[in-house]
Amino acid sequence: MSDIQGITIERDIQSEDMVVNIGPQHPSTHGVLRLVTTLNGEVVKNMEPVVGYLHRSKEKMGENRTFFQYQPMIDRVEYLSAFYDHYVYCTALETLAGLDIPKRVQYIRMITMELNRISSHLLWFGTFLLDLGATSPFFYAFRDREKILKLFEDISGARMMYNYYRIGGLNADIPDGWIEDVRRVINELPKRFAEYEAIVNKNPIVMDRCIGIGIINTEDCLKYGVTGPALRACGVAQDLRKTNPYCSYDEVDFDVPTSTDGDVYARYQVRIQEMYESLRIVHQALDNLPGGEPADIRKLQAEYDAVATEIKEAKKRVIVAQKQETEPEPADVKKMEEEPPELDKDWRIQGKKKVNMVSFKPPVGECMSLVESPRGFLGCYLISDGSPKALRIKWRGASYSNLSILPSMMIGNLYPDLMAVFGSLDVILPEVDR
Amino acid sequence: MSPVGNENRVLSGLVEIGRGLATVMSHFGREPVTLEYPEVMPDLSTRFHGRLCLLTKSDSTDLCIGCKACARVCPCDDLIQIEMHRDENKKPVIDRFTIDIGRCIFCGNCTEVCPVDCIKMLSDFELADYSREALVLDKFDLNLPGEASDQWRVEHGLEKTVK
Repeated sequence: MSDIQGITIERDIQSEDMVVNIGPQHPSTHGVLRLVTTLNGEVVKNMEPVVGYLHRSKEKMGENRTFFQYQPMIDRVEYLSAFYDHYVYCTALETLAGLDIPKRVQYIRMITMELNRISSHLLWFGTFLLDLGATSPFFYAFRDREKILKLFEDISGARMMYNYYRIGGLNADIPDGWIEDVRRVINELPKRFAEYEAIVNKNPIVMDRCIGIGIINTEDCLKYGVTGPALRACGVAQDLRKTNPYCSYDEVDFDVPTSTDGDVYARYQVRIQEMYESLRIVHQALDNLPGGEPADIRKLQAEYDAVATEIKEAKKRVIVAQKQETEPEPADVKKMEEEPPELDKDWRIQGKKKVNMVSFKPPVGECMSLVESPRGFLGCYLISDGSPKALRIKWRGASYSNLSILPSMMIGNLYPDLMAVFGSLDVILPEVDR
Repeated sequence: MSPVGNENRVLSGLVEIGRGLATVMSHFGREPVTLEYPEVMPDLSTRFHGRLCLLTKSDSTDLCIGCKACARVCPCDDLIQIEMHRDENKKPVIDRFTIDIGRCIFCGNCTEVCPVDCIKMLSDFELADYSREALVLDKFDLNLPGEASDQWRVEHGLEKTVK
């Protein structure tokens, strides 16, 4: 209580709340997120995430572009793991059109998606520790992520905006020598992961800042729709790759890492373990890739083409002979009855009938497809009215639901824990706003 | 916490920090992975999504037939603008072909649909310029000479000569 010029001002510093705007341009919010936070001292009393600063109307764009034109736009929905966006979009349309996907395509998709999971987790690892104040892991993680991005550049031509999957198949087959490159990288990665773990796992500062912080329980997760590593860190082994196998995930052997603590440290451990599991999947997928090296397939295809040409020419000669009313060569007649050999249909990179992307029109109907992205369930809901443009496209981003649980994790906790907790959720803002 | 517990905690903390630092120190001797870009150019893949170009026939005449398939699949409105007419032999003549590279998102849709394999992508990524107008490339900027086109086709496994 103070007395200035006869006016008594009553001021209780202890109980006064302060509203702090964190963001939208905050270095640690990984994008543009505004958190309207009410603080009492250092204790968070209330928190309200304000989203929409990165809204680019990606859903509406899908309604005034053809399916092929919309495809490059999907990369920008969630750019750290764009293969998942493509997969979920293509799967929705393939399910709608009833296309069956060759095994080779499924395996290549599986390899690229798992590598994408690793690259996404690596970026998370680097930035999360940067939020905590550690700088070196960021450089190590980016060095290794670069190798994976190089693989993506070789296969699709771009490091982040791939535009590689097509409805019913792929844009192009894998390049020559790509399989060896992948093997080299994935044989190298476990050593790197061990390095990260040596720096971070038992570090007393990291442990103090992560253990027992930002605890969520399963009920809250289910209430808010939290999925992905955040849910698995609560002890729920919910992984769409295991529970509802899509692609060819039922043919590979892998575990779903879980933890029961539900705190920041548990989410960190689950993600690190997931990277090891992804490596296992890539190893198996490379070993069992139908067709193997593209050069072998090309060679076989050339042989089959030669046989098919012979049969065709024999047919021509027979027709000419019939026209001239002479006896055709017996060898030609025999050859004519032969069936031209066909490449194993599992080896194709397009379905049996190549979809003409430009004029692709799915039948009338609606479809929802889900995929286990590095952040959780990624869904695409699509309504088609039979025209080359979608009537409605809805994205279900994992980040949006994961972000919504942040206030309930933070209220009553200390403000300095905010960035550790927020970073551990691995929220990517373009996916929140779309 | 008891004093003994605290001592243990400090000791294990020191050990772990030492282990972390040892890992960091082990990186001292290794080769740098970064490239000093303007001097050292990155090794880009042949599929790299770079600047768009128009391949020409081996004798440097236009390969484009003006079908406008690329303009139709482009996700950016009016990015590719083509004007063409047919001469007395019904052969297509391209009057104007402009690409606004400033708005291009380098998705590669146009390269995929081109029926004559004319519009393709180079691994050229240094596209900065002083004005927006300079980023609108016309046919003269886009056309790749015959020899360079042949080389491009060889590198990407297409038929070498196109008549």
